[in-house]
Amino acid sequence: MDYRDTPEEAEFRASLREWLAAAIPAGWDKIDDEEAAVRLRKEWHRTLYRAGYVGMSWPEEYGGRGLSPVYDAILNEECGNLNAPPLPSVGYIGRAVFTYATEEQKRRFLPPLLSGEASWCQGFSEPEAGSDLASLRTTARLDGDHYVVNGQKMWTSGGQYADWCLLLARTDPDAPKHKGISAFLVSMTEPGVTCRPIVIASGEAETSEVFWDDVRIPVDQRLGAPGEGWRIAMTTVTYERGPADIGFIANYRRTLRKVEAIAAERGLLDRPETRKALARAYVRGEVLRLNCMEQLSLRVSGRPPGPEGSVAKLLWADAEQSLQHLAMDLLGADEMTGVAADWLSSYFTSRPVSVYGGSAQIQKNIIARMLDMPR
Amino acid sequence: MLKEVAAQIAGSAGPANPGDLRTLDRAAAWRSLAQSGLLALRTRDGGSPAGSGVEVAVVAEALGAGLVPVPYLGSAVLATELLALAGAHDEAEALAEGGSRTGVLLDGDLSALAVLPGDQAVYGWDVDGADGALALTGVRGGYQVVRVSLETGFVPVPGADLTRALLRSDGPVGEASPTPVGSPLSAEDLSRWEALALTAIAADTVGVMRAAVARAVAYSKERVQYGVLIGSFQAVQHMCAEAYVQAEASASAVNYAAWAVDELEPAEALLAARTAKAQCASVAREVTETVMQVFGGIGQTYEHIAHVHTRRALTDRQVLGDEGVQLLRIADVRLTGE
Repeated sequence: MDYRDTPEEAEFRASLREWLAAAIPAGWDKIDDEEAAVRLRKEWHRTLYRAGYVGMSWPEEYGGRGLSPVYDAILNEECGNLNAPPLPSVGYIGRAVFTYATEEQKRRFLPPLLSGEASWCQGFSEPEAGSDLASLRTTARLDGDHYVVNGQKMWTSGGQYADWCLLLARTDPDAPKHKGISAFLVSMTEPGVTCRPIVIASGEAETSEVFWDDVRIPVDQRLGAPGEGWRIAMTTVTYERGPADIGFIANYRRTLRKVEAIAAERGLLDRPETRKALARAYVRGEVLRLNCMEQLSLRVSGRPPGPEGSVAKLLWADAEQSLQHLAMDLLGADEMTGVAADWLSSYFTSRPVSVYGGSAQIQKNIIARMLDMPR
Repeated sequence: MLKEVAAQIAGSAGPANPGDLRTLDRAAAWRSLAQSGLLALRTRDGGSPAGSGVEVAVVAEALGAGLVPVPYLGSAVLATELLALAGAHDEAEALAEGGSRTGVLLDGDLSALAVLPGDQAVYGWDVDGADGALALTGVRGGYQVVRVSLETGFVPVPGADLTRALLRSDGPVGEASPTPVGSPLSAEDLSRWEALALTAIAADTVGVMRAAVARAVAYSKERVQYGVLIGSFQAVQHMCAEAYVQAEASASAVNYAAWAVDELEPAEALLAARTAKAQCASVAREVTETVMQVFGGIGQTYEHIAHVHTRRALTDRQVLGDEGVQLLRIADVRLTGE
């Protein structure tokens, strides 16, 4: 595989750099107010979209540009280098819609998803269905030309700010548990939808729980066939684990630079142990980036993401969490005394990385299955 | 194509058990490598290498996977590249034909190419069938490649790696014996050499790790305890999955470093190579230990193949610098821009 940009990619990268230098909102990473931060992220989504940088690898008829996913990776890389706000993660929900939706649904839902006019959340997990997602209990009962949904969803990231939800619910209680699930595209403003933020250990309301009480969904907002929900969910999480769809590489590089700056400010760069630890963090990030590039190259060659995405997910969680350990070691007491409260918060934010999108243990189960180990 | 050829040679030239190391026809394996042109990849053809860094890594990985006991790294990669960079093309060609072999001399902790004259004993590494080995000597404005005869002043030592020959000099190698070869090397030449050398050793390690993990996984599908295959236990599955992840992560780093050897500027290629070497060195011990653990009691015995993987991986880890050495050099680049 060739790691170098083609002339077209190089040209794209250069013009992107120029654009980013002017477009990145000054002081965006100093905003403390959560609602203001969410507004900024939504605005950044629309700014990126207007400049043509969202959904570049999607077909033009759905609002994309029909480019290779390599362009998404370049965007990721340059945003990390230039300290841009987080990229919108339209990929993983969008891909599921893109793969399973009817033509009419695609035209209705994909353009606003890409443009940032509508933001989405994912209604998968439940209090009693975490890793064992297929045992979910939320029901969708057919009633004329509507489904009536009842149940509770957990860990719905960004649910409180989302306009739409990709929802999984059981439509056939008598079918085997993987077979009786269907997927729906539901407005979060429907009567009967109640969203309560869940404050995670960091103190931030990163995620939410959503209650569904007799929520009526038109039949034409079912995604895929009845009973196809499990397959759709698996497509979604595979892309959620995917390399170019989530801005984690850019984030990682930015955080590493900050950790290096902490070591420099505190005069720790003379210590060989610190130098080794910082270099190890760099190596972890590089290994992750290169592993993702290889997967991306497979995807460009037409192969959909497979279980090898679990390798990247495990590498990512390990890199992210090790980097937070390193920051904690360098900051010492400051992280415990409120002097570096933001780093304590980042530390706790790194913990669920090995839980969401399939826990580290689930990823290892998937790899064992890929290795064809006995069940 | 190259991959298939290398894998085929490795398949017939590697040991299934440690006992095979006494009886394997190493000369035949070397002849096959020479006849397939695999020893000639780093000879120069009109100035540029006949084969790319990527091709070298493919061959090194295949031979590592097969635990093949021939000095491909020592003679066909490390020595041949030094000769080619020094412009000693006839000598490089002679090695490529397979008739003679040359190894390299490493300093006392195996972490660098020996610089002569030194004040310590040095090691001839991967010198099976070699009558000489290459080292460096300082000259004005750079280094000169020198050749040291291994005929006298060296004794075989029982190194950890059962698949590579190791010699130790009786004492410091003086100024009298080395013979200059080719023209002096620039700092840039040496960076190029080190980038290829580190990458090839890391590729060998990836081969060792991947093959070891595959062996452990295969065993988990045969071995029955408590009436079930041990591979059905989640504890065993997760051990294998973790080892697999680390081996694959290492492969990603090596693939890039191998590409970088010929495609990037020497400093960038060297950073990529150090990254790959640091990654492999950081995980190789644990991966091969995990494999021994999956094999249980039998995996701890001398008759079993598992420790042959471990021994080769541990030696690869040390040669030209373990992760500690690589990380400090990476830190120099990242933190002070050296």
